[in-house]
Amino acid sequence: MSENDKMLSVMRLLQFTDSTFPVGTFSFSNGLETASFENIVTDAPTLEAFVRSQARQAAFSDGVVAIHVHRAFLKGDYDRVAELDRYLLMFKMNAEARLMISRMGKKLAELAVKLFDTPMIARWLKDIKGGIVPGTYPVAQGLTFAAAGVGERELFCSHQYGIVNMVLSAALRCVKVSHYDTQLILEKLADEVSALYEEASQMMPEDMNAFYPELDILASLHEKGNMRMFMN
Amino acid sequence: MIEQIREKTVAPDVDFSKAREMGRYLTEPPTMYVGAPGKHGYLRLGFELDKEGKSILRDLDRRHPLIVQQELYFDEEMPELPCVYILSSGGPNVDGDRYQQDITVKKDALAWVSTGAATKLAEMKWNYSGLVQNIVLEENAYLEFMPEPVYPCRHTRFISDTRLCVDKTATVFYSEIFMGGRKYFGEGELFEYDILSVCSHGERPDGEQLFREKFVIDPQIENPRNLGVMGKFDVFANVLVMTPPENADKIYERTSAFLDKERMLAAGITRLPNDAGLLYKVLGMEPGPVKKLVREFCSTVRQVVKGHPVPPEFPWR
Repeated sequence: MSENDKMLSVMRLLQFTDSTFPVGTFSFSNGLETASFENIVTDAPTLEAFVRSQARQAAFSDGVVAIHVHRAFLKGDYDRVAELDRYLLMFKMNAEARLMISRMGKKLAELAVKLFDTPMIARWLKDIKGGIVPGTYPVAQGLTFAAAGVGERELFCSHQYGIVNMVLSAALRCVKVSHYDTQLILEKLADEVSALYEEASQMMPEDMNAFYPELDILASLHEKGNMRMFMN
Repeated sequence: MIEQIREKTVAPDVDFSKAREMGRYLTEPPTMYVGAPGKHGYLRLGFELDKEGKSILRDLDRRHPLIVQQELYFDEEMPELPCVYILSSGGPNVDGDRYQQDITVKKDALAWVSTGAATKLAEMKWNYSGLVQNIVLEENAYLEFMPEPVYPCRHTRFISDTRLCVDKTATVFYSEIFMGGRKYFGEGELFEYDILSVCSHGERPDGEQLFREKFVIDPQIENPRNLGVMGKFDVFANVLVMTPPENADKIYERTSAFLDKERMLAAGITRLPNDAGLLYKVLGMEPGPVKKLVREFCSTVRQVVKGHPVPPEFPWR
């Protein structure tokens, strides 16, 4: 890759990862609102533990799918992309999480067809609208990054950053933490991303796994409850 | 009198060679080899209606150490429900055990299946213990599968794969309770096992895949005490209910999600993907209260689907 291409790649990475990238990340708290209400997340250390669990959970599900979609795009294998999209939805046990990844996925697909003139993304958006595929966000991320010529590792970093930053941004509105606290957590969790990538990049979709029952119950309380600062 | 079918089949291979997480535990035990007679359990239970329309255990095949006795009709709220306890004559699951359990409930039939006692997973040194389950429900069939809790010991390695193939008109209640370990043994043995890998997936008879849930708990890689995982809780129950959407809506409405810090008990419910049904999870400190909540949830399911509650548990259970 030439120096110019490298710079372009960094610019794309920044663009797709920025919190103002219009896919609606700001609207979701991933159960943090409930965790805060129930006094489970009350300060910086508990917030850090909560975000770490969210990041790991996402790495071994969304992260794995995003990586495989990126690879499928480069091989021009649309059937594999559609299969991965359906497979991820089937693995998402939480109804709110399914809603979130589908809404964000469609938004990113609509944006990506304007940014890149690639038949595969156009076909995928058409299939989302036709109800043929669910249109999940990690699939959209894999397609977008591959179409922009940004690598798989960078894609994984962006995916992890997106999850962590989504929860930390919500934390500023519902947990007693400062911007300093959230930046320190972000800095600390960044150190753990390469180990997560090493594992996730070797996993097949059938290896995807998640064991976060406490997060699941918090998400259920949010789904059933009436706290509505963030979307459900 | 209708005779039971007892056709012997070759116990199928229980193959987990594709499970990446078990790759570290493939040494052949120096004791009885993997899959040796007595370590390769097989059970096939087939429930169906007899000529009078009564649900019976019509088909039965088994290989030790798995045993079932004949069906009993002890459910006072549903005397028409055949109830079967699965027993293991070998005691705990040991290193290199491979079990398979196939349960079929035919059109319009009912069944209740549990275990006679908790399932203990012994300490393992070389290999692992694996369980494959195929649970098949035909049109309008009804199954409650509510086994006693699973106790992993220090250095237990266990993997299971459960396929729930359920017609869109049928209802299955499938529960599992996992203890953190032998909490009061010696100094206490919580989360000292090597690995638990548990996968359950749902599908329709035409092969349409509906959901897939897999948890891999490896305390050396991620501490189950982490916030969001088990947190401060010791016992975890997972219940899958596959039922038509109109039932699922009613059950969802009648089931509460809560987090009770005084009793240290929490429960949550959500909808499975592809309108497959519901997923209910419970966290607690001791098996008693968790089992009680699972049973109450089963009662809600039974009332919605069959119009009867689940009777109170026997005092000795």
